[in-house]
Amino acid sequence: MRKIQRLLALAGAAVIALSSSLLFAACADGEEKQVLRIYNWEDYICNEDDEEAGYVDLIAAFEEAYDCEVEYSTFGTNENMYNELKINEGSYDLVCPSDYMIMKMIREGMCEPFTEEFRTSSLYAQNVSPYIRGIFEENGWDKYAIGYMWGTMGFMYNPEAGDTIAEDVQSWRVLENEKYRKKSTLKDSVRDTYFYALACVYEEELAALAAEYEDGSLSETEYNAAITAVMNRTDEETVEKARVYLREVKKNIYGFEVDSGKNDMVTGKIDINFCWSGDAAYGIYEAGEEDGSTLAYSVPDYVSNIWFDGWVIPKGGNVDLAEKFLDFISSPDYAMMNMDYIGYTSVLAGEEIYENWVLDGYAAEESGEELQSLIDAGEIIEYDLSYFFDDDPDSGAYAFYAYASEKNGMLGAQYPDNSVVARCAVMQFFEEDANNRINMMWEDVKGAEIPIPAVILIAVILIAGGGVYLFTKYGNDWLRGKPKKGYEKVENKDK
Amino acid sequence: MVRFHFSRKQLCIPYAVFLTLFVIIPMLLILLYAFTGEDAEGNLFFSFSNFFNFFSSTSKLQTLGVSLTIAFITTFFSLIIAYPVAYILARSGWKRTYVLLMLFIVPMWLNFVLRITALRELLNIIGFLGNYDYVNTVIGMVYDFLPFMILPLYNSLQKMDNSLLEAANDLGAGPVHTFLHVTLPLSMPGILSGVTMVFMPSMTNYVVSETLGNSNITILGKMIEEYFSTYDDMHMGSLISIILLVIIFITMLVSGGFKQNADESSARGANLW
Repeated sequence: MRKIQRLLALAGAAVIALSSSLLFAACADGEEKQVLRIYNWEDYICNEDDEEAGYVDLIAAFEEAYDCEVEYSTFGTNENMYNELKINEGSYDLVCPSDYMIMKMIREGMCEPFTEEFRTSSLYAQNVSPYIRGIFEENGWDKYAIGYMWGTMGFMYNPEAGDTIAEDVQSWRVLENEKYRKKSTLKDSVRDTYFYALACVYEEELAALAAEYEDGSLSETEYNAAITAVMNRTDEETVEKARVYLREVKKNIYGFEVDSGKNDMVTGKIDINFCWSGDAAYGIYEAGEEDGSTLAYSVPDYVSNIWFDGWVIPKGGNVDLAEKFLDFISSPDYAMMNMDYIGYTSVLAGEEIYENWVLDGYAAEESGEELQSLIDAGEIIEYDLSYFFDDDPDSGAYAFYAYASEKNGMLGAQYPDNSVVARCAVMQFFEEDANNRINMMWEDVKGAEIPIPAVILIAVILIAGGGVYLFTKYGNDWLRGKPKKGYEKVENKDK
Repeated sequence: MVRFHFSRKQLCIPYAVFLTLFVIIPMLLILLYAFTGEDAEGNLFFSFSNFFNFFSSTSKLQTLGVSLTIAFITTFFSLIIAYPVAYILARSGWKRTYVLLMLFIVPMWLNFVLRITALRELLNIIGFLGNYDYVNTVIGMVYDFLPFMILPLYNSLQKMDNSLLEAANDLGAGPVHTFLHVTLPLSMPGILSGVTMVFMPSMTNYVVSETLGNSNITILGKMIEEYFSTYDDMHMGSLISIILLVIIFITMLVSGGFKQNADESSARGANLW
């Protein structure tokens, strides 16, 4: 295996070396430009100049500002990215995996640490949200990874699909509900759907924990640690429970998807979509643009997932240039532009983002008496984002008035409120045998049974085909029937 | 002036290089991966475990069964739909039948993903989408592979000698008899090559089952993809590919695709398709 990989890598390196030497020979600029090789998710950075919308091609802008060259390539799943890194070791300077993959890569020693200087004084260090910084430190990722985008998982739903849908989607188990038969989707991704299954099969246990947190017998930290432990169980019994549950739920849902779900919500094919908050923000926006209809997003009770995508520098990467790039895209202006372009929420906080993005976008316009009357009517609520923007999560310094509809709208999708993040667990990376167990569970869940009508159909076709064959072979006389007019049947004596 | 002389052997070199690089070496790698495992250090060792694993796993055998079922039904309906069309096109007296044929074929040259996406919307309007995953998948596959069935059938029917039909008629055979004893046997090469062309891809074309069956149906092609990308197990993925290869081989053997029959030269064009 290793040998083949080395051969492939060698061949790849030869091709790259050849083409790059040709390239340099062609420009013959004299000085050799530095190259930054970035490997990112598809559609995950603003790389388009559009003056009208105020977009700047961040990659081109960086190339110009630092007189270097960026080789930008993209991947579709964490697993693909990981395989590519294994096969072509040392061919990327900066990659953007998700939480559990970051853990796996750190564990396997695949990452170059960031410099002390970057970790203390870069634009990223100055602007990153204290909440995100805390999570990275807690998990011990802060040396090797910095955040990029983050969010929750929940349900995007169509509020008009039923009178009680808003309450129904507060339970993860809504997908078993006959009312929404063939109207909901799950993710075609083993990690996310396994997480979903655990939220359902351990609903009672999680509800009990939530009650303990509610009455104060568990602190927020203890509560979060407890739900994180439940949601990352991988023992055989748990996996079996998940398998049984998912097979059952599969009968009631519309299907599995990874990227068609948000469009199916917008076009009304489905009413409930288990999704990432960024996709929900996209769907809510698109639906509004398309025909003015409203979609909503909510994070069900008791538990949810909080996820991150972050930048890591693979071993042998160009740390200096990578840090320059990360510093470059961490300015508040570019961060907001990026958020606007890709629809996900940046891990960066800071006054500028709070004022120009959160307040400008979501704060209620009313003031004085009018405001008070709307508050009394429940149409405007107080929305506290201090946990994200302030060092002290309970300071209340970043609370503002927002329209109540925004709680389950764009605002809720982009910045969940404090009560939501308290019940969010981080996905851990699974050991290999647990991973195999869960993969086999997934294969079983995804497998379909042969439908009985199809078997009957095949039997009929085979019998009919065989019948025709036998008739043509042995049933000549019967099939021929009477000869044509004016002909007479003659016995074939040769037979 | 320099004159170049190429022997036949030399003319084959470009193809031989292409074949070696992109067909033979990858095939050998697949074979290597299929019958090996990997220890903790990433070293390969010979093993049949993937093979036994495949045939002792219910979900894998079920997927094999589902793929065969879908492929069989798809092939059947393609044949039922394509035969009359090909017959009419080939036997009609018009001089410019190829124009008609093109009318059938050209729309199929539109981008495949685009057509399937459009079909998805159509099935949604009819009310099938989300409710009949298998039916939708078969509709999509038939829609997709119909030209592969029409063209060889058309070719073999068109090449059929008209005097044979006249002779059958002269000798007193009715239309049913003529069809069963003259037309059908003569179009057999076309049928066989059409069946092979449709049966094989419908076992693996998972874009259709994913898009129209909302990923509720897993067929072998999808399973291979999962093993390579999600499960990170190239060995099992390769083994499933080998199993598919064996199925293809068996189908070819059964349908006589390897037969080198001299008097079937008229069907050579058909076999090309």
